[in-house]
Amino acid sequence: MRRSRIYGTVGLVWLVLTLAAIAHGTRLALVVAPTEATMGNVQRIFYYHVPTSMLSLLFPYVNFIASVFYLGWRRRDPMRALTADAVAIAAAEVTVVFSSLSLLTGMLWGRAAWGIWWTWDARLTSMLLLWLLYVSYLMLRKLSATGQTQTLAAVLSVFAAIDVPIVFMSIRWWRTQHPAPVFFGGEDSGIDPSMMPAFGWNVLGWAMWGVFLLVFRYALERRRQEREQEAALKSIEGSLEMAQ
Amino acid sequence: MRLSWIFGSSMEAHHLLAAYVAVWLIQGGYAGWIAWQWVRAGKELQADLSLNTGEDEEF
Repeated sequence: MRRSRIYGTVGLVWLVLTLAAIAHGTRLALVVAPTEATMGNVQRIFYYHVPTSMLSLLFPYVNFIASVFYLGWRRRDPMRALTADAVAIAAAEVTVVFSSLSLLTGMLWGRAAWGIWWTWDARLTSMLLLWLLYVSYLMLRKLSATGQTQTLAAVLSVFAAIDVPIVFMSIRWWRTQHPAPVFFGGEDSGIDPSMMPAFGWNVLGWAMWGVFLLVFRYALERRRQEREQEAALKSIEGSLEMAQ
Repeated sequence: MRLSWIFGSSMEAHHLLAAYVAVWLIQGGYAGWIAWQWVRAGKELQADLSLNTGEDEEF
Protein backbone atom coordinates (compact mmCIF):
# COMPACT_ATOMS: atom_id res chain seq x y z
CA MET A 1 0.00 0.00 0.00
CA ARG A 2 2.81 2.36 1.00
CA ARG A 3 4.72 1.45 -2.13
CA SER A 4 1.74 2.13 -4.42
CA ARG A 5 1.28 5.53 -2.74
CA ILE A 6 4.94 6.41 -3.51
CA TYR A 7 4.44 5.32 -7.14
CA GLY A 8 1.27 7.42 -7.32
CA THR A 9 3.04 10.53 -5.99
CA VAL A 10 5.99 10.08 -8.39
CA GLY A 11 3.53 9.61 -11.27
CA LEU A 12 1.62 12.75 -10.34
CA VAL A 13 4.79 14.87 -10.07
CA TRP A 14 5.97 13.47 -13.43
CA LEU A 15 2.61 14.29 -15.03
CA VAL A 16 2.66 17.88 -13.73
CA LEU A 17 6.22 18.43 -15.03
CA THR A 18 5.25 16.84 -18.37
CA LEU A 19 2.20 19.06 -18.83
CA ALA A 20 4.28 22.11 -17.91
CA ALA A 21 6.93 21.17 -20.52
CA ILE A 22 4.25 20.60 -23.20
CA ALA A 23 2.50 23.88 -22.36
CA HIS A 24 5.80 25.77 -22.54
CA GLY A 25 6.75 24.03 -25.79
CA THR A 26 3.35 24.82 -27.34
CA ARG A 27 3.61 28.48 -26.38
CA LEU A 28 7.11 28.69 -27.90
CA ALA A 29 5.88 26.92 -31.07
CA LEU A 30 2.80 29.08 -31.61
CA VAL A 31 3.83 32.44 -30.20
CA VAL A 32 7.60 32.81 -29.90
CA ALA A 33 9.16 30.87 -32.82
CA PRO A 34 9.59 32.95 -35.99
CA THR A 35 7.34 32.40 -39.01
CA GLU A 36 9.12 30.28 -41.61
CA ALA A 37 9.93 32.28 -44.77
CA THR A 38 8.60 29.94 -47.49
CA MET A 39 5.84 27.90 -45.79
CA GLY A 40 4.47 30.50 -43.42
CA ASN A 41 2.58 29.60 -40.25
CA VAL A 42 1.66 26.08 -41.36
CA GLN A 43 5.31 25.13 -40.74
CA ARG A 44 4.47 25.33 -37.01
CA ILE A 45 2.90 21.86 -37.37
CA PHE A 46 6.55 20.72 -37.54
CA TYR A 47 6.94 21.35 -33.76
CA TYR A 48 4.38 18.61 -33.02
CA HIS A 49 4.87 16.45 -36.11
CA VAL A 50 8.61 15.79 -35.71
CA PRO A 51 8.58 14.88 -31.97
CA THR A 52 5.59 12.52 -32.45
CA SER A 53 7.31 10.94 -35.47
CA MET A 54 10.58 10.51 -33.56
CA LEU A 55 8.76 8.85 -30.67
CA SER A 56 6.78 6.59 -33.01
CA LEU A 57 10.16 5.19 -34.12
CA LEU A 58 11.44 4.81 -30.57
CA PHE A 59 8.61 2.92 -28.83
CA PRO A 60 8.67 0.01 -31.34
CA TYR A 61 12.14 -0.78 -29.99
CA VAL A 62 10.76 -0.97 -26.44
CA ASN A 63 8.14 -3.38 -27.80
CA PHE A 64 10.83 -5.35 -29.66
CA ILE A 65 13.19 -5.67 -26.67
CA ALA A 66 10.33 -6.65 -24.34
CA SER A 67 9.12 -9.25 -26.88
CA VAL A 68 12.60 -10.77 -27.17
CA PHE A 69 12.75 -11.03 -23.36
CA TYR A 70 9.26 -12.57 -23.35
CA LEU A 71 10.35 -15.22 -25.88
CA GLY A 72 13.46 -15.96 -23.82
CA TRP A 73 11.69 -16.19 -20.47
CA ARG A 74 8.34 -17.75 -21.35
CA ARG A 75 9.42 -21.31 -20.43
CA ARG A 76 12.24 -20.67 -17.96
CA ASP A 77 10.61 -17.90 -15.92
CA PRO A 78 6.90 -17.39 -16.72
CA MET A 79 6.41 -14.65 -14.08
CA ARG A 80 9.17 -12.48 -15.54
CA ALA A 81 7.85 -13.26 -19.02
CA LEU A 82 4.49 -11.78 -17.99
CA THR A 83 6.25 -8.57 -16.95
CA ALA A 84 7.99 -8.38 -20.34
CA ASP A 85 4.67 -9.05 -22.07
CA ALA A 86 3.03 -6.17 -20.18
CA VAL A 87 5.83 -3.82 -21.33
CA ALA A 88 5.42 -5.10 -24.92
CA ILE A 89 1.68 -4.44 -25.15
CA ALA A 90 2.05 -1.02 -23.50
CA ALA A 91 4.79 -0.03 -25.99
CA ALA A 92 2.73 -1.30 -28.97
CA GLU A 93 -0.28 0.81 -27.99
CA VAL A 94 1.84 3.91 -27.42
CA THR A 95 3.46 3.28 -30.83
CA VAL A 96 0.03 3.22 -32.50
CA VAL A 97 -0.99 6.47 -30.79
CA PHE A 98 2.19 8.32 -31.80
CA SER A 99 2.35 6.91 -35.35
CA SER A 100 -1.35 7.77 -35.92
CA LEU A 101 -0.60 11.35 -34.89
CA SER A 102 2.52 11.45 -37.03
CA LEU A 103 0.46 10.41 -40.08
CA LEU A 104 -2.41 12.76 -39.23
CA THR A 105 -0.30 15.88 -38.60
CA GLY A 106 1.77 15.05 -41.70
CA MET A 107 -1.37 14.87 -43.84
CA LEU A 108 -2.66 18.17 -42.46
CA TRP A 109 0.68 19.78 -43.26
CA GLY A 110 0.86 18.09 -46.71
CA ARG A 111 -2.56 19.36 -47.78
CA ALA A 112 -1.59 22.95 -46.94
CA ALA A 113 2.01 22.79 -48.23
CA TRP A 114 1.77 20.40 -51.23
CA GLY A 115 -1.93 20.69 -52.02
CA ILE A 116 -2.49 16.93 -51.48
CA TRP A 117 -3.46 14.87 -48.46
CA TRP A 118 -1.43 11.80 -49.39
CA THR A 119 1.16 10.48 -51.82
CA TRP A 120 2.80 7.06 -52.05
CA ASP A 121 6.17 8.51 -51.16
CA ALA A 122 8.81 6.25 -49.52
CA ARG A 123 8.56 7.85 -46.05
CA LEU A 124 4.76 8.04 -45.98
CA THR A 125 4.34 4.47 -47.27
CA SER A 126 6.87 2.94 -44.86
CA MET A 127 5.27 4.89 -41.96
CA LEU A 128 1.82 3.65 -42.95
CA LEU A 129 3.23 0.12 -43.04
CA LEU A 130 4.64 0.61 -39.52
CA TRP A 131 1.22 1.78 -38.31
CA LEU A 132 -0.49 -1.22 -39.96
CA LEU A 133 2.01 -3.64 -38.40
CA TYR A 134 1.35 -2.37 -34.86
CA VAL A 135 -2.41 -2.21 -35.41
CA SER A 136 -2.16 -5.88 -36.56
CA TYR A 137 -0.18 -6.66 -33.41
CA LEU A 138 -2.94 -5.21 -31.23
CA MET A 139 -5.70 -6.90 -33.25
CA LEU A 140 -3.90 -10.23 -32.92
CA ARG A 141 -3.72 -9.80 -29.16
CA LYS A 142 -7.37 -8.80 -28.95
CA LEU A 143 -8.92 -11.36 -31.31
CA SER A 144 -6.73 -14.46 -31.28
CA ALA A 145 -8.33 -17.33 -29.40
CA THR A 146 -5.32 -19.66 -29.31
CA GLY A 147 -3.34 -20.27 -26.15
CA GLN A 148 -0.26 -18.97 -27.94
CA THR A 149 -1.40 -15.37 -28.48
CA GLN A 150 1.44 -13.76 -26.52
CA THR A 151 4.08 -15.84 -28.31
CA LEU A 152 2.60 -15.12 -31.76
CA ALA A 153 2.43 -11.41 -30.93
CA ALA A 154 6.05 -11.42 -29.73
CA VAL A 155 7.19 -13.03 -33.01
CA LEU A 156 5.18 -10.48 -35.03
CA SER A 157 6.81 -7.71 -33.00
CA VAL A 158 10.29 -8.94 -33.99
CA PHE A 159 9.30 -8.72 -37.69
CA ALA A 160 7.58 -5.34 -37.21
CA ALA A 161 10.75 -3.85 -35.73
CA ILE A 162 12.51 -4.41 -39.08
CA ASP A 163 10.37 -1.63 -40.59
CA VAL A 164 11.64 0.98 -38.10
CA PRO A 165 15.12 1.53 -39.63
CA ILE A 166 13.50 1.48 -43.10
CA VAL A 167 11.18 4.35 -42.05
CA PHE A 168 14.12 6.26 -40.58
CA MET A 169 16.38 5.77 -43.62
CA SER A 170 13.65 6.16 -46.28
CA ILE A 171 14.25 9.92 -46.72
CA ARG A 172 17.98 9.30 -46.94
CA TRP A 173 17.85 6.35 -49.37
CA TRP A 174 15.13 7.70 -51.68
CA ARG A 175 14.60 11.39 -52.47
CA THR A 176 10.87 11.52 -53.10
CA GLN A 177 8.14 13.96 -51.98
CA HIS A 178 8.81 14.10 -48.22
CA PRO A 179 11.17 16.93 -47.15
CA ALA A 180 14.84 16.00 -46.64
CA PRO A 181 15.93 15.06 -43.10
CA VAL A 182 16.06 18.06 -40.77
CA PHE A 183 18.52 16.38 -38.41
CA PHE A 184 21.41 14.00 -39.18
CA GLY A 185 20.89 14.65 -42.87
CA GLY A 186 24.27 16.07 -43.86
CA GLU A 187 25.63 19.59 -44.24
CA ASP A 188 22.43 21.21 -45.52
CA SER A 189 20.21 19.85 -42.75
CA GLY A 190 19.23 21.60 -39.52
CA ILE A 191 16.90 24.41 -38.47
CA ASP A 192 17.43 28.04 -37.63
CA PRO A 193 18.78 28.42 -34.05
CA SER A 194 15.79 30.66 -33.19
CA MET A 195 13.48 27.65 -33.77
CA MET A 196 15.48 25.27 -31.57
CA PRO A 197 13.89 26.13 -28.16
CA ALA A 198 10.36 25.43 -29.49
CA PHE A 199 11.52 22.19 -31.06
CA GLY A 200 13.59 21.07 -28.05
CA TRP A 201 10.83 21.73 -25.49
CA ASN A 202 8.29 19.84 -27.59
CA VAL A 203 10.63 16.85 -27.95
CA LEU A 204 11.21 16.86 -24.18
CA GLY A 205 7.52 17.33 -23.29
CA TRP A 206 6.18 14.68 -25.66
CA ALA A 207 8.95 12.22 -24.72
CA MET A 208 8.00 12.65 -21.04
CA TRP A 209 4.34 12.18 -21.98
CA GLY A 210 5.21 9.01 -23.92
CA VAL A 211 7.07 7.60 -20.90
CA PHE A 212 4.10 8.49 -18.67
CA LEU A 213 1.68 6.66 -20.99
CA LEU A 214 3.99 3.65 -21.26
CA VAL A 215 4.37 3.26 -17.48
CA PHE A 216 0.65 3.89 -16.80
CA ARG A 217 -0.42 1.36 -19.46
CA TYR A 218 2.14 -1.14 -18.13
CA ALA A 219 0.72 -0.76 -14.62
CA LEU A 220 -2.79 -1.35 -15.99
CA GLU A 221 -1.68 -4.52 -17.77
CA ARG A 222 -0.02 -5.81 -14.59
CA ARG A 223 -3.25 -5.17 -12.70
CA ARG A 224 -5.18 -7.13 -15.35
CA GLN A 225 -2.66 -9.99 -15.20
CA GLU A 226 -3.01 -10.06 -11.41
CA ARG A 227 -6.79 -10.32 -11.79
CA GLU A 228 -6.48 -13.14 -14.35
CA GLN A 229 -4.18 -15.01 -11.95
CA GLU A 230 -6.72 -14.53 -9.15
CA ALA A 231 -9.50 -15.88 -11.41
CA ALA A 232 -7.37 -18.88 -12.45
CA LEU A 233 -6.55 -19.62 -8.80
CA LYS A 234 -10.22 -19.41 -7.86
CA SER A 235 -11.18 -21.76 -10.68
CA ILE A 236 -8.56 -24.33 -9.57
CA GLU A 237 -9.78 -24.10 -5.99
CA GLY A 238 -13.37 -24.57 -7.22
CA SER A 239 -12.40 -27.66 -9.22
CA LEU A 240 -10.57 -29.15 -6.23
CA GLU A 241 -13.56 -28.58 -3.97
CA MET A 242 -15.85 -30.25 -6.48
CA ALA A 243 -13.47 -33.22 -6.79
CA GLN A 244 -13.54 -33.69 -3.00
CA MET B 1 3.47 37.78 -31.74
CA ARG B 2 -0.31 37.51 -31.26
CA LEU B 3 -2.19 34.24 -31.48
CA SER B 4 -5.33 35.58 -33.18
CA TRP B 5 -4.15 34.48 -36.65
CA ILE B 6 -4.59 30.83 -35.66
CA PHE B 7 -8.37 31.34 -35.62
CA GLY B 8 -8.33 32.92 -39.09
CA SER B 9 -10.18 31.57 -42.13
CA SER B 10 -7.14 30.53 -44.20
CA MET B 11 -6.40 26.86 -44.88
CA GLU B 12 -3.05 27.07 -43.08
CA ALA B 13 -4.75 28.42 -39.93
CA HIS B 14 -7.40 25.67 -40.05
CA HIS B 15 -4.84 22.91 -40.56
CA LEU B 16 -2.49 24.19 -37.89
CA LEU B 17 -5.31 24.42 -35.36
CA ALA B 18 -6.62 20.97 -36.40
CA ALA B 19 -3.15 19.40 -35.99
CA TYR B 20 -2.62 20.79 -32.47
CA VAL B 21 -6.17 19.99 -31.33
CA ALA B 22 -5.99 16.45 -32.80
CA VAL B 23 -2.77 15.76 -30.88
CA TRP B 24 -4.28 16.94 -27.58
CA LEU B 25 -7.56 15.09 -28.12
CA ILE B 26 -6.02 11.76 -29.14
CA GLN B 27 -3.31 11.82 -26.47
CA GLY B 28 -5.77 12.99 -23.81
CA GLY B 29 -8.38 10.47 -24.94
CA TYR B 30 -5.90 7.60 -24.71
CA ALA B 31 -4.70 8.68 -21.25
CA GLY B 32 -8.35 9.00 -20.16
CA TRP B 33 -9.12 5.51 -21.44
CA ILE B 34 -6.16 4.05 -19.48
CA ALA B 35 -7.30 5.91 -16.34
CA TRP B 36 -10.86 4.59 -16.73
CA GLN B 37 -9.63 1.02 -17.25
CA TRP B 38 -7.28 1.41 -14.28
CA VAL B 39 -10.10 2.37 -11.94
CA ARG B 40 -12.35 -0.41 -13.30
CA ALA B 41 -9.64 -3.09 -13.04
CA GLY B 42 -8.84 -1.92 -9.49
CA LYS B 43 -12.48 -2.24 -8.40
CA GLU B 44 -12.79 -5.70 -9.97
CA LEU B 45 -9.54 -6.88 -8.38
CA GLN B 46 -10.67 -5.57 -5.01
CA ALA B 47 -14.01 -7.38 -5.39
CA ASP B 48 -12.22 -10.63 -6.28
CA LEU B 49 -9.85 -10.37 -3.33
CA SER B 50 -12.61 -9.61 -0.83
CA LEU B 51 -14.63 -12.54 -2.23
CA ASN B 52 -11.62 -14.83 -1.77
CA THR B 53 -10.96 -13.75 1.80
CA GLY B 54 -14.66 -13.79 2.62
CA GLU B 55 -14.70 -10.14 3.79
CA ASP B 56 -18.09 -9.44 2.29
CA GLU B 57 -19.74 -12.61 3.51
CA GLU B 58 -22.34 -12.15 6.22
CA PHE B 59 -22.43 -15.76 7.35
